[in-house]
Amino acid sequence: MKAMNRRKLITVSAVLAAVSLAVTAVPAQAAEVGVSGSEIKLGMTLPMTGTASLGYNKIPGAAKAYFDYLNANGGVNGRKITLVVKDDRYVPTEAVAKTNELILKDKVMALLAPLGTANVKAVAASVNPARRGVPVLFVNTGFSGFADAKKYPTTYAVLPSYIMEAKIMGQYIKENFAGKKVGLLYQDDDFGSDALAGFKTAGVNFAVTVPYASGSQGAAAAAGWITKFKAAEADVVILFGVSSATSAMLGTAAQLKYAPQWMLGSVGGDATTIKLTGVPAGVLYNAIGFSPVPATTDMKDEYVKLFSDIYAKAVPGSAFDLNVLLGMNSAFMAAQALKAAGPNPTRKSLLAAIDSKGSTFANSALVPLGYSKTSHVGLTGYWVGKYSPTGDLAPLGGTYVTYTTDSGAGAVVKSTYVRPAMPAKGLPN
Amino acid sequence: MCLAQRRPAVHKRQSRHIIPFILGGVVLYFVSGMVDELRVYQGASVAVYVIAISSIILLTGYSGQVSLGHGALMAVGAYAAAVARIELHAPIIVCFIIAVLTAAIGGALLGAAAARLSGPYLAGATLALAIGLPSLANQFKILGGEQGLLFDVGFPPLSLGQDFTQYKWFFWIAALAALISMWVIHNILSSRYGRTWRAIRGNEVAAQLSGINIARSKILAFTISAGIAGLAGALLSMTIGTVSPSAFPLTLSFSLLTGAVLSGITTLGGVMIGAVVLVAIPEFADAVASRMGSSEKVTTNLPGFLVSALLIVTVLFVPNGPVEQHRARKAKKAALKK
Repeated sequence: MKAMNRRKLITVSAVLAAVSLAVTAVPAQAAEVGVSGSEIKLGMTLPMTGTASLGYNKIPGAAKAYFDYLNANGGVNGRKITLVVKDDRYVPTEAVAKTNELILKDKVMALLAPLGTANVKAVAASVNPARRGVPVLFVNTGFSGFADAKKYPTTYAVLPSYIMEAKIMGQYIKENFAGKKVGLLYQDDDFGSDALAGFKTAGVNFAVTVPYASGSQGAAAAAGWITKFKAAEADVVILFGVSSATSAMLGTAAQLKYAPQWMLGSVGGDATTIKLTGVPAGVLYNAIGFSPVPATTDMKDEYVKLFSDIYAKAVPGSAFDLNVLLGMNSAFMAAQALKAAGPNPTRKSLLAAIDSKGSTFANSALVPLGYSKTSHVGLTGYWVGKYSPTGDLAPLGGTYVTYTTDSGAGAVVKSTYVRPAMPAKGLPN
Repeated sequence: MCLAQRRPAVHKRQSRHIIPFILGGVVLYFVSGMVDELRVYQGASVAVYVIAISSIILLTGYSGQVSLGHGALMAVGAYAAAVARIELHAPIIVCFIIAVLTAAIGGALLGAAAARLSGPYLAGATLALAIGLPSLANQFKILGGEQGLLFDVGFPPLSLGQDFTQYKWFFWIAALAALISMWVIHNILSSRYGRTWRAIRGNEVAAQLSGINIARSKILAFTISAGIAGLAGALLSMTIGTVSPSAFPLTLSFSLLTGAVLSGITTLGGVMIGAVVLVAIPEFADAVASRMGSSEKVTTNLPGFLVSALLIVTVLFVPNGPVEQHRARKAKKAALKK
């Protein structure tokens, strides 16, 4: 009986071996992957479920809303854009698995706006889009490393780096809060170390710095942070963390009636997300905030008006917030990149188009883009604003004053950049 | 005299056991040449899960100790391998050995505490480990914080040809590691230690009365299980190229336990089932959702729903797993024939 089983096993193995030898190589595809006569396929991985998905899970809906609008208006050179979205639950293992599916099974032409530094790094190391020649457009992280065109030749940043933001914050402190005691709450990882580097370059001396480990933020931890800021008698407290840290801090501060001058980093500064966690709008009032794109409530801005109209029709009942605006902005930029890549875009021509024309792509941001052959830096600055009594960020004095800088030792300068008028109907020209 | 007679018999049995594993290796070798790159990558993931799940089967199914923290032990192995690679420039095989040893030491320490606990207390203690341990990496610069460390095993040797992909290389490494560890575990489980653990699981008091040192046996089970989990962690990091705290979330520990239950917690034979289910379910759910034209909400929640449903069905109808159930039915039929 046992001998028979073994014989069976050997036979099966032999058959499998023979079949494997008989299988011939798959013929090469003629056209570019993900591009057909009528369609261009893009892929996106980001947290759609789980704790980290709060706010960010609106990005695919926003991007799809824009692409649907674009497709209804003729698409890009007659091709409609399809976006395939996969949930990575903010876990690098999942991000790698899903990106593999997008590239190898769904056969997307390029990846759009993947989210999270650790995830993008893991995908770069394992899936290696650079080796495969797959463009990774407009990553949703401010980690300065992704702008390195040598290390990540097919990856393009879009958000200004954390270093840039810290430098601009530092400049604002010097000009407006000279002599005041400043405290800093930061995340104890690359996110925070980028911030510390920026503040150091800006020459900010802190009365107290409070690091927190990612995942440790909560009401109990926030009470501990407040004790430290109180002990140091900080007049100005900078919250340079993720939304959950900012929300925990503001919510607890409201309960403890602790009210220094708040200054919020853009990563954790989206008012809609903060208010969703139960923080009263009044706590945000007069806090200082930073953003590269117009205020989401500014209906006089042509981009905000058009994008919010498109979004309201596509996803009724969902609030138009910073995540939505940035998602639609990236989709709009991707459409322009595809248009610039020629009538029959390929991965190569797409990369070349961003390298040569990327810095001139129309988009809603009020600061310039920095793409070139040698650098994949995205937006390069911020405007400064204050939160209104309803908790929405609005520019100081009602007009946008923007500052621009780099991720190195360059100075922070008032930007003279004037955003070009939006292309007709918000379509790529 | 008696011992001298028995020993060759044991060796003979072990050498016989090695044949199916070698044959399995040959089959995998040819299969890896037949399928596309995505399947090869998924094959590597299955191999990693096979190792991780078998470490839980050894611990829970055989020695009767529950662990909700195997994700953390995988993290220990993964970080040890990455640090050895980056700081010591150790060859990849040495990195994997270091991963096994470091996780085993961690497991021994945990096991020493676990030997005093049982049931929900042990589950609670290991759960705390799963939550707390990976984020410890944020406290030490050498571990790379939240962004983690790169773990690069290097390109496949040129002798394998220009077309030999990185994922095929990962698959070969992971599959070989899986085959070797399965062979080792299989032999451990059919040795004196395996019998001792089964005795403890069956009835601790009876085992103690028959002269078994309960605490020592439990610690040994934890140590071996942790070592294997460490190897799985290092291999997981190899497939994603990095090691970071977020790669070892609490859900990983739960997924592994789910995989072990689906495989049949008391049999090593069904381990492939759990591993394949964990890898295939998300893709299957994607296919179902896209065919039905479902909304994003359905697509993103369907995998979790399917795994949970499968878990409930397994616990209700085949509580010992499909393989054990099949064996039991076969044995019953044979008994009836007699």
